[in-house]
Amino acid sequence: MAKKIKVLLAKLGLDVHNRGIITVAKALCDVGMEIVYIGNSLPREIVQTAIQEGVDVIGVSSLGGAHLTLGQPLMDVARQENLTDSVVFVIGGVFPPDDTLRLKEIGYNAVFTPGATRDEIVLSIQGLVEKKIA
Amino acid sequence: MKEKEKTTKEILAEEIATGERIPLYSPAALENIRRLSDGWMLSTVREKDRENWLKTPRTVLGSNIPREMLYTPLSHPDFDYQKDLGNSGEAPFTRGIHTNMYRGREFTMRQLTGFGSPEDTNGRMKFMLDHGATGLNILFDIPTIQMYDSDDPFSQGQVGMSGVCVDSVEDMAILFKDIRLDEITVSLVTHYPSNTAILFPMFLALAEERGIPWEKLRGSVQNDTTLEEVIRSGAEFIAPRDCFRIQSDNIEFIRKNVPQWNFITLNGYNLREFGTSGVTEMAVAVANGIATLEEMKRRGYDVDTVADRLSFFWSPASDFFEEVARLRAVRRLWYKIMKYRFHAKNSRSMWMRCHVQTSGVSLVRQEPLNNVIRAAYHALSAVLGGAQSLHIDSYDEAYSVPTEEAALLSLRTQQILQEETGISDVVDPLGGSYYIETLTSDIERRILDEVDEIEQKGGYVVVIESGQLHRKISSYFYNQQKEIEKGNIKIVAYNRYRSEAVPPPINVFRYPEGVEERQRGKLAKLRLSRDNEKVGAALMALKEACRKGENILPLSVACARARCTEGELFKVFKETFGLWKPPALF
Repeated sequence: MAKKIKVLLAKLGLDVHNRGIITVAKALCDVGMEIVYIGNSLPREIVQTAIQEGVDVIGVSSLGGAHLTLGQPLMDVARQENLTDSVVFVIGGVFPPDDTLRLKEIGYNAVFTPGATRDEIVLSIQGLVEKKIA
Repeated sequence: MKEKEKTTKEILAEEIATGERIPLYSPAALENIRRLSDGWMLSTVREKDRENWLKTPRTVLGSNIPREMLYTPLSHPDFDYQKDLGNSGEAPFTRGIHTNMYRGREFTMRQLTGFGSPEDTNGRMKFMLDHGATGLNILFDIPTIQMYDSDDPFSQGQVGMSGVCVDSVEDMAILFKDIRLDEITVSLVTHYPSNTAILFPMFLALAEERGIPWEKLRGSVQNDTTLEEVIRSGAEFIAPRDCFRIQSDNIEFIRKNVPQWNFITLNGYNLREFGTSGVTEMAVAVANGIATLEEMKRRGYDVDTVADRLSFFWSPASDFFEEVARLRAVRRLWYKIMKYRFHAKNSRSMWMRCHVQTSGVSLVRQEPLNNVIRAAYHALSAVLGGAQSLHIDSYDEAYSVPTEEAALLSLRTQQILQEETGISDVVDPLGGSYYIETLTSDIERRILDEVDEIEQKGGYVVVIESGQLHRKISSYFYNQQKEIEKGNIKIVAYNRYRSEAVPPPINVFRYPEGVEERQRGKLAKLRLSRDNEKVGAALMALKEACRKGENILPLSVACARARCTEGELFKVFKETFGLWKPPALF
C-alpha cells in the first residue's frame, strides 16, 4: 500500500472564513490522507510546523485578500528552508483572476478558487505529490 | 425538587391549545373542495404527478421542505385569519410589523462599505450617500474584526483588507469625517460581543468629543455570540460563557445610555452563509434571543425595556417562496414567544425587526454577471417578506471586495425595486396564498422544533460550549457540497449549462497601496503622544471589572477616551477570561 499523504492545512493569517478549508480537510480525510490542521497561522509558523510534522503538502486558505501579502512570504520562508522541492504547495480562496496566475508564478503548485470540487482538489494533490516524490 | 423548566415549545403549545380557532373555511366549503379535488386527482392529474405529488426543492442553503404540486384550502384546512395572519401592524404580525409597511417607511438601503484606511472608506461612504443610500453599514478589516492592532505581527499583510482598519478613536474620527452622526443611522458591523465592547465605545467617545449627546445616536451593532464562537475562524477565543456575558454587558449599557441604539443584531446571516438551512439559521438566532432575554431578566430588567430594541439579521437565498415564507414565519413565532413566554406588554417588544443581506455564498465565479440576477431575486423575496432594511451583494464578490461600479449597481438594484416595480405599495402582497400560508406555518413549526432541540440540550450557550452546534453546521455544509458536486443542487453556468467559452475580463477591485504602513505610522505616533499613565490606569480598571463581574462597558468607554487601542483591550479580555479551544470540525 502506498504511504499515506500527510497534509498540513492552515488559514493564512487572521482570515475569518473557514467553511472552505473544513470542507477540504474532510474531503482529504475521506480519501485517507492524514491532516494536520493548525488553524489561523502566519507563514513562519506554517513552515516550521510543516518541517516538524514532515508533511508532503502545505495547503493554505485565504478569502480575505491577503493571499499575496502573506502568500508570498510563505513561499519565501519555504524557499529559505529548502522545502519547495520536496513539499507540494496549494492555496485556495477568493482571488482576482490575475492573482491566480501570480500565485502560480511565485511557486504554488495548485490554486483553487470558488467552485473547485472535492475531486479536483483530491486528484490534483495526489498527482502533484506523486510528481514531486518521483 | 424544582420542577423542570418548560421549553418554549411546551409553553406555546399550552397557550395555543387554550384559544379557540375560527377557521376561515367552513366545513361545508372544505367538504366541497375535498370532493372536487378527489375527482380532479383521479380524472385530470396524471398518474406520474400523483405519485410525485410532493417534491423537495434542492437549492443552495435550502431547508429541504417537501412541496405539494398544487396548494388548496385543504393544505391548511384550519387556517384562521386572525390567529394566523391578522392585519398588518397587529398581532401576530405575520403580515408586517407596521400597519402601512413600505408606504410609511421604505426599506432602508444600507449597503456595506469598508476597505483600506478610514480615509478610503470615508470617501466610499460619501459616494454611496451622494447616490441615494439611506443608511451606512460599515465593515471592519480582518485585524480589526479579530481585535488585533494594525501594528501587531499577526496583522501583517492584512491591514485594510475586507474592511476598514480602526485601531483607536482617532481612526473612528477620520472614518466619520463630515458625516453627521446625529442625522444618519449607522450600522457598525462589529460582529462579535468582544469587539462590540471595544469599537462601539470608540464611536461613543467620538460622539462625545463632537458634542453630540448619546441619546441622539441611531443605528446598530452586531454583538452576537454565535458569530464570535461558532462561525469565526480565529487564533484566540474566549469561552462562550464569557462571550455571552460581554454580549449582555453591551446590551445593558447601551440600553441605559444610548436609548435609540439597537444593541444586538441576532445574527442568522453569517451562520447561514457559513453553511446551514434557513430553518436552522432562524432557530439559532431565536434561541440566542431567548437566552438574552432570560439573562436580562436575571439582571433585573423588565422584558419590555430590552425587547423593543432587539433586531435580527437574515440571509435570503435561492428558494424564493421559502424565503418569503420564512420571514413571515419567524415574525409570527417571535410574537408568540414574546407574548406567551415572556409576557411582553408593549407591542413593539413583539416585533421581529430585521435587516437582510442577499446571500454571498450563492454567488458564482463563472459568468459573474449572472450574480446580478441571483441577488435581485434574493432581494425581491426579502421585500415580499417584509424586511426593514436591505443590502444587496455585488456580482464580483467571488473575486474580491466590490468595485465602486459593482457597489453602485447593487444600490441601483434596490432603487429599481423601490421606485420602478410598485412593490412597496401593497402590504404583504403574497398573504392569503394557499401555498405561502401553508409554507409559513410549516416553517414556523420547523423553527420551533429546532429551538426545542437546542433547549432540550441545555440551551443556546450549552450547545455552543459542547460543540454540537459547530458539528451540526459543518455536517450540513459538507453534505451540501456533495449535493452540488453530484448536480442535485443545480447552479447555472457552474454545474448546468456550463460554457467553455473564455469569459470577458472582469474589472476587479484593487486595495489601495500603503495602508498598513500609514496605519503603523499613525499608531506609533499615538502611542507616543497619548497620556500612557492614563492608558495603563484605564486598562487596569477594565481588568478589574472583567474579574469582578461588573459591567465592563463604562470602563471600555474610559479606555476609548484615553486612546487605548483595540488590541490593548482584547489583551485584557484574553488575560482575564483565559482562552477557549473551539471543537475540531473534521
